[in-house]
Amino acid sequence: MLRATLKGMASRKARLALTSIAVLLGTMFVAAAMILTATMDKSVSGVISDAYSDVDIVVASGDGENGGASGPPGVAIPSIPGDVLSQIQGTDGVDRADGAVEGEINAIGSTGKLVGTFAPTIAFNWTEGSDEDDFIEMREGSGPAADDEVAVSTKFLADSGLDLGDTVTAYSYTADRAEYTIVGVFGLAGGRDSTAGETQMGFTTAEAQRLLTGGEDLYSSVYVYGTATTDDVESAIGTGDYRVQTGQEASDEAAEGFAVVADFMGYIFLGFGLVAVFVSVFLIVNTFTIIVAQRQRELALLRAIGAGRGQVVRSVLTEALLIGTVASIVGLGLGVLLGWGLSQAVSAYMMDGLPVTLLVPATTLWALVVGIGVTLLSALVPAVKASGVPPVAAMREAVNPPKPLRTITIVGAIVTVVGGALLALGLTDNLGDNTLTGMLVGVGITFVGITLLTPILSLPLVSVLGAVLSFTFAGKLGRLNAARNPRRTAITAAALMIAVALITGIATLVSSIKATTSDVLDTSLESDLVVSGLQAGANTPSFSRDTLTELREVPNVQRVADHYQDYRGTSVDDQDAMLSSSENLEESMGVFGTAVTEGSLSDLDANSIVVDETTAEDRGLELGDTVEVGFFDGETATFTIGAVLEDYLITNGWWVSPDYIEHFAIPKPLQAYIVVEPGADVGAVEDDVAQVLTDEPEVNVTNNAEFVDQQTGSLDTILGAVQILLALAMIIAVIGVVNTLVLSVLERTRELGLLRAVGMTRGQARRMITVESVIICLFGAVLGIAVGIGLGWTVQQALEGEGLDQFALPWGLIVTYLVAAVIVGLLAAIAPAARAAKLNVLGAIAYE
Amino acid sequence: MSTSTPVKTNAVAAKGLWKAYGSGEAQVVALRDVSVEFASGAFTAIMGPSGSGKSTLMHCLAGLDTTDRGTVSIGDTALTGLGDKALTKLRRDKIGFIFQQFNLLPTLTAEENITLPAAIAGSKADPAWVKRIIDTLDLADRLDHKPTELSGGQQQRVACARALASRPEVVFADEPTGNLDTRSGAEVLSFLRTSVDEFDQTIVMVTHDPNAAAYADRVVFLADGQVVEDMDDPTADSVIDKMKHFEELVAAAQVKES
Repeated sequence: MLRATLKGMASRKARLALTSIAVLLGTMFVAAAMILTATMDKSVSGVISDAYSDVDIVVASGDGENGGASGPPGVAIPSIPGDVLSQIQGTDGVDRADGAVEGEINAIGSTGKLVGTFAPTIAFNWTEGSDEDDFIEMREGSGPAADDEVAVSTKFLADSGLDLGDTVTAYSYTADRAEYTIVGVFGLAGGRDSTAGETQMGFTTAEAQRLLTGGEDLYSSVYVYGTATTDDVESAIGTGDYRVQTGQEASDEAAEGFAVVADFMGYIFLGFGLVAVFVSVFLIVNTFTIIVAQRQRELALLRAIGAGRGQVVRSVLTEALLIGTVASIVGLGLGVLLGWGLSQAVSAYMMDGLPVTLLVPATTLWALVVGIGVTLLSALVPAVKASGVPPVAAMREAVNPPKPLRTITIVGAIVTVVGGALLALGLTDNLGDNTLTGMLVGVGITFVGITLLTPILSLPLVSVLGAVLSFTFAGKLGRLNAARNPRRTAITAAALMIAVALITGIATLVSSIKATTSDVLDTSLESDLVVSGLQAGANTPSFSRDTLTELREVPNVQRVADHYQDYRGTSVDDQDAMLSSSENLEESMGVFGTAVTEGSLSDLDANSIVVDETTAEDRGLELGDTVEVGFFDGETATFTIGAVLEDYLITNGWWVSPDYIEHFAIPKPLQAYIVVEPGADVGAVEDDVAQVLTDEPEVNVTNNAEFVDQQTGSLDTILGAVQILLALAMIIAVIGVVNTLVLSVLERTRELGLLRAVGMTRGQARRMITVESVIICLFGAVLGIAVGIGLGWTVQQALEGEGLDQFALPWGLIVTYLVAAVIVGLLAAIAPAARAAKLNVLGAIAYE
Repeated sequence: MSTSTPVKTNAVAAKGLWKAYGSGEAQVVALRDVSVEFASGAFTAIMGPSGSGKSTLMHCLAGLDTTDRGTVSIGDTALTGLGDKALTKLRRDKIGFIFQQFNLLPTLTAEENITLPAAIAGSKADPAWVKRIIDTLDLADRLDHKPTELSGGQQQRVACARALASRPEVVFADEPTGNLDTRSGAEVLSFLRTSVDEFDQTIVMVTHDPNAAAYADRVVFLADGQVVEDMDDPTADSVIDKMKHFEELVAAAQVKES
């Protein structure tokens, strides 16, 4: 039996090769994802252990994390007092202990704006350890010797546009601006400029403390050198308040934090790898179904001469096992290469050239299991079907009447409903902690359900699509062929559908977000210009109140709406709540175009609060009710609801009177919306405003269109990346189309022979196959676009409460994908059509 | 009808045909210097035992297969040296085909199958003519059916209608009754006879069934790649006699060769 299987396989090389490619691609991506994760983990921990390589013990403050609500916004709070440092230094076995002060600050680059657009600037104190450290490599100059000197990282130098010897201005939330002379430039071990895109500045300890602790003698952590054990240190400073770790433990923990980026990338690749595997299931099922159909007589003959049902199943499964194994092993090998390449790319583009050490973890073997398992499982159904071939079929002409679609349609409908329900539950927050998992599983199940429904959907859709394409007779035959086996057409198109649906779904969300953002700005907002900043690190961009006053005085500025905001530790009636404020609430609401539904903005006093309708309704509050508001700095006060506003994304939330701005974490305006006098040149005013902002490094002025782009620009990048990654699934789907067409041509050899005999030209034969191909691809694309829009719509509906109230279709992308489907259809048809055209007429019609 | 001149012209003519398959020791000569002519408006059967070359002869005559030597002409057109495009066009416009099985496209209705060659050519079959054929074949109420909804006999009748729909110079029928029961076979053969008598159609039929051959005007016997006998106005009995005779002749020749 094995010999018969092997010989059979040898005669079906082309088909098996196509199937193998699908398995191979899937396995390759899964393996690459695992290798990427492991390699980046290892490479990152390599670097971090460099950072602590010669440190024996690290002492950190108790909570270990950022200061959070108890300190300035998002900035790590150095909280180890100087006398604890002294105690450590006085402990037996401690040769040396350096107190480290670290935190985020702001530095102004040569353009007058903040250094580092997408990553924070880190300040630290330059110590004896910094000079000796293997992690920090001095490139030029020296460490800071005076409080007005600073050493900066090479990344800082590049981002700021400054040079050694230049003067740089830096400040923090607690410390005013000061000027420093750049006296040294350093890089990181391995010739790198930065660990993850951050820029660094090394100050004297006193200056670092002035910037980060308000001048108090506090440290973020203490690096201990010597023979003392963690127990020695703990007994010296007392347990509980501090965490005492060995250098190794500390570096492991730090590496974990940094590895998150690599892990995230790994998960993304794994996700797309699994999508690819999922798509290849369709291809494998299809191929084996067709192989079995074609081998019907052969299998029947085997049965007639005494092969048992089990032997037939085993014969088909053996074939699947061989394909799965060979393809998975090759896929694994290529996956190692891809994983290495991806690691290099991630390192180069996202981790500033981190040296990569390739690591192939044992878990990579799971990719092999996935590849072989998926192939076997996919082949199981066709194999069992094959065993059902009656021996008498050997004596008959093979007829494969398409099976009725009733069962598959009913099952498909049920599965779709179940998946949809799960998705709906997840979107309406009924799944608790399992929301994300539930939703992903819901999407998966929905996809399976819709896939089962594709055969019944293919009947009307293929006719409609085909009607457009069948203006020639050959085209008509192609359309009829595409409609002839709905299951096969559907399963082939379904593979394409999945990839297109995922992209369309994401694109629909992106365009909805964009539409919502511009809608927010267009519908009621009366302003022409926006002053705002993009948040790079933990620091929220803001500008001074004096600048706000200056803005109001710029010529041709009619009105200005100012927006103060705070969410850190703020609450209303003990529930977390975002607080806003404005120096002139009535004027601001006029600029925002937010209507007052109840009460009035004219007669508010210092203890009045204003809120939007939905929030008030959710909390069961009405005009005149009182609420207890908690502020960032611990202050609490009772407010009376003085007015209720209509819902509007920009102004939703609680508005307190300007008297309480001083209790905000950032008592400075975050944004200003400027209305230009009618008839005035907006561009000229924009220039004037920019002039006012020269001394405000954190914010810029933009017109409304630029503001939308600024807020949504990164979404396009994400969409682009998703498309590139899903291209893999697309390739597998296209291979599926080629495969189906090749098999159809083989299966219809005699039919083609007849057509050629009665006068069909080669060109017409080619056209017939091409039309079939284009129809299948278009069907997949149309279905995918429909499902994707549905997916995007569902998510948009779910997020409507969060402010995503516009639904917009990505028309450009939809048209692009339809055109692409036609092109893909044309390309996929090339080989099968050539095969059909080259058909030997005599061979095709001659009967045995 | 169309060729109502009293002079009988030849619809198909072959001269000195040679055809061999394979090479060296394994070479099989299918046709050895075959010269044969088929008169216009006549029903000719080609008979012979298995491996006699009768199917090869038909394929060569119909432009489905190439010849090694010799010439074939359909009407005024010489097939020899024609390219695939010209041969395809010739088959489409001048030849009708009826095969033993797999004669129809399963995706098309009976009517669409009948007008298939015209549709491929992008032209329209003469409706009056098609209607006449359909009526003669008693297919009028089956036109909307798909082949799977038709009996074997009905399918073959549809194939006959298709072969005649474009009024070809000649219809080649390859074992047209091979897959049919006796009654259905008789119906098909009667129609072929009628199409010759009433429509003046030229038919060349390959068969191994003496009863089928009896419907023809003339039988050409092939054995071992050569025309060995040419019989006019055959009956089933006379054909059976001849065949027995050939089998003896062939057996004797084989004994002599070995």
